[in-house]
Amino acid sequence: MNGDDLIRSARFRKEREADWRRLEHLVTAAETRGLQHMTFAETRDLASLYRQATTSLAIAREISLDKALLGYLEALTARAYLCVYAPQQRLGGVIARFFTRSAPQAMRRSWLYILLGFLCMGLGALAGYLLYFENNDWFYVFMPSEMAGGRGPDATTDSLRSILYGHETGTSGLGAFATFLFSHNTRIAIFVFGLGVFACAPAALLTFYNGLSLGAFVALHVDRGLGPDLAGWLSVHGVTELSAICIACGGGLQLGTALLFPGNRTRADALRYAGRDAVKLALVAALMLLVAAILEGFPRQLVEETDARLAIGWGIGVLWLLWFVLAGRERS
Amino acid sequence: MLRRWKERRRALPSPNILMPPEGVALTLPVAGLGVRFTAQITDIVITTIAAVCLLILLLVLDISDPQTMFAVGALLFFLIRVPYYICAELAWNGQTLGKRLMKIKVVSHDGGPLTAHALVLRNLMKEAEIFLPATLLLTLDAATPLESVAALAWVSIALCVPLFNRHRRRLGDMMAGTHVIHLPVPVLLKDLASDAPLPAAGRKKFVFLAHQLDHYGAFELQTLETLLRNQSARPASGAADGKSATVAVIVEKIRRKIGYADPVPPQDRLRFLNAFYNAQRQHLEQRQLFGDRRENKHYAQDKEESPDPADP
Repeated sequence: MNGDDLIRSARFRKEREADWRRLEHLVTAAETRGLQHMTFAETRDLASLYRQATTSLAIAREISLDKALLGYLEALTARAYLCVYAPQQRLGGVIARFFTRSAPQAMRRSWLYILLGFLCMGLGALAGYLLYFENNDWFYVFMPSEMAGGRGPDATTDSLRSILYGHETGTSGLGAFATFLFSHNTRIAIFVFGLGVFACAPAALLTFYNGLSLGAFVALHVDRGLGPDLAGWLSVHGVTELSAICIACGGGLQLGTALLFPGNRTRADALRYAGRDAVKLALVAALMLLVAAILEGFPRQLVEETDARLAIGWGIGVLWLLWFVLAGRERS
Repeated sequence: MLRRWKERRRALPSPNILMPPEGVALTLPVAGLGVRFTAQITDIVITTIAAVCLLILLLVLDISDPQTMFAVGALLFFLIRVPYYICAELAWNGQTLGKRLMKIKVVSHDGGPLTAHALVLRNLMKEAEIFLPATLLLTLDAATPLESVAALAWVSIALCVPLFNRHRRRLGDMMAGTHVIHLPVPVLLKDLASDAPLPAAGRKKFVFLAHQLDHYGAFELQTLETLLRNQSARPASGAADGKSATVAVIVEKIRRKIGYADPVPPQDRLRFLNAFYNAQRQHLEQRQLFGDRRENKHYAQDKEESPDPADP
């Protein structure tokens, strides 16, 4: 049958059907084998046939009332669209860019929020420290009992010292690492970041509270003349871990501020915009917590001398700082 | 106020429309929560099995001890889960194994290309939304009720977020600018207009006049198309000959409506419907080319009663 006696839309279909079939074939190939494994000619045809199919779809919507044809073209074009606009970057590129550029840049952009986070923690620590010297009982208020682990105003100086230099955790290696990773501070960091969305206040309060218990804890040891020993014990992982909490708090505060003061954007838009940097801050915090868990699991058990502990802890802290300050600067 | 909200909602464009850079809108239906939940469960089962296998291996090799088994298990689950989701969605273009099973897929919300950055972000947010708080919830005990309640509240809020937006996006989708759709399946059916018009020898040809084709619109035409496709797909003898009661009723109804005087013999009923479909489609498509789009048979009344100033 020649095409002359057909109606217009049927002729339209007859002329293009072969191309559509070829596109369908290519789309199936791209979905099963992946774009990377197709030949040059195939990918070139896929792109050009996809654009032809979108044109066909636009025309068919105007001239054809054939429901089957419209449905087929719509589905075919959609499938081809999904293939043509598939992610082209490699995972390695994304990760490399995060470490070399976007994370340090986000840290520098949101320095004010991070400063606020450190301020919350610092003020809390100061308050806890002073309150302890006013009345020892504050220790029991600030310190969660499962964290204190028998340490308190009642404990003897010797027992405090033995904990600082002891091995009696009962676990080692992988088990200790996993335990520390899911320990108190990681929870605090997650909550501090997540609760920031609810208008800043819970995040700041939780950080402040964490500072309070830290201050009381430090005060207890200073009171017994164990200040330098505690500094060494805490520095190994604490520099990294407490900074991570402050950074998470900074991210949370950023989200909360976006919700409170969205400016000219809608609140959802402002949240999404702030979210770009805040999520990077959260990732940095997560990375730091991971490193802190490694430090807590291994070097703290192996290194006994206070000086070496201080050097490890603050050395790693300086490395973090160098990364944040120096990496990813554009050359002008 | 409720009515105003409903009206505003109706005025919004349908969530199923996606506009690619080529500027031709595509219909990609948003995946429902049930389907996504099933896909998620499948993925969780897969990763859990992997984690449990690895944990048993560690126990057998005596690297881990029973006291810290739970913490190590949670860590392994975490270490397997995060790369699994990200790598699977990158390798299979926005689909994990569970999503492939349920035939759903992640797309960019604004119709642009799907970026690796968006996929990484939405899967990391999944950790922050669901998995990490859930892990906390499992590891916590009665000693810390405040944290347990906070974690529970956080997880339930994160789970409720997709209920309150039309694209069923969770927080991670909003941050990454993505949503999840059903994959459409392209099936090209035969064109009814291409095989019908041969008049059989000895039978007369059906001819319709222009005024007879002014009664119906696109909706009735496409309903007739569906009926004819069903008739040709069903090989039952009675239906194939056009002897079924439905076909007879429809033929009579059309004849009366358009004023087609000649009676249609039973063996010619399907041929009559096919011929009518062809003529009607040709007529309507022609009217459409001249800017007279007829949605359904009420097109004439609609035009008289409410001439829409916004959409001439």
